[in-house]
Amino acid sequence: MNKIQQDLRLLPGHFKKVAFGIMLLSALLVVLYILKVLTIDKEIVETIAKSGFLISLLLLVITRNKIEDELTLRIRLKAFTASFIYGVVIVIVEPFINLLFGDSFLSDKGVTELLINMFFFYFIMMFLMKKNR
Amino acid sequence: MKNRVKIQRAIKDLTQESLANEIGVSRQTINSIEKNRYIPSTILALKISKVFDKNVNEIFELEEED
Repeated sequence: MNKIQQDLRLLPGHFKKVAFGIMLLSALLVVLYILKVLTIDKEIVETIAKSGFLISLLLLVITRNKIEDELTLRIRLKAFTASFIYGVVIVIVEPFINLLFGDSFLSDKGVTELLINMFFFYFIMMFLMKKNR
Repeated sequence: MKNRVKIQRAIKDLTQESLANEIGVSRQTINSIEKNRYIPSTILALKISKVFDKNVNEIFELEEED
């Protein structure tokens, strides 16, 4: 690991397993709630599931790949930038689209959904840039 | 910036994979450098030239537009 990679402080590879574990637990919680095995308040289930999903996505983003070199790092930073710009654009554009097409077109979903969207955008960008490197 | 990584690799009879392993990067990174899609850092350029026993200037060369 060189100086640049140390500066970014990515988590070791085994954190990917932790991330998938948390994601699986969040999904399991939702399934158990839907099947009415759990009798907890809907809002509590929603909050725990969303938080779990967000934590797992964040862990996936900040965990090292098998081979992490300077090109991968550059792609990673580009994807970070792209997803940040995507988030800002969505926040700016959304009210105007809602104004034009009505609230049903793009509803104001809240911070969690925006962050999840940004994470997915990041993964798509990473995939495309890695494919075309 | 143009480079002679592919030529030097052929002279040394190295595959992209073996060169990548030697300097600790992915094969795709070597491919990107050879195809001029990615300009390596000074550290990586020095590592590559060390593998080929050459000066950095002999592997990497500035072009007019650089």
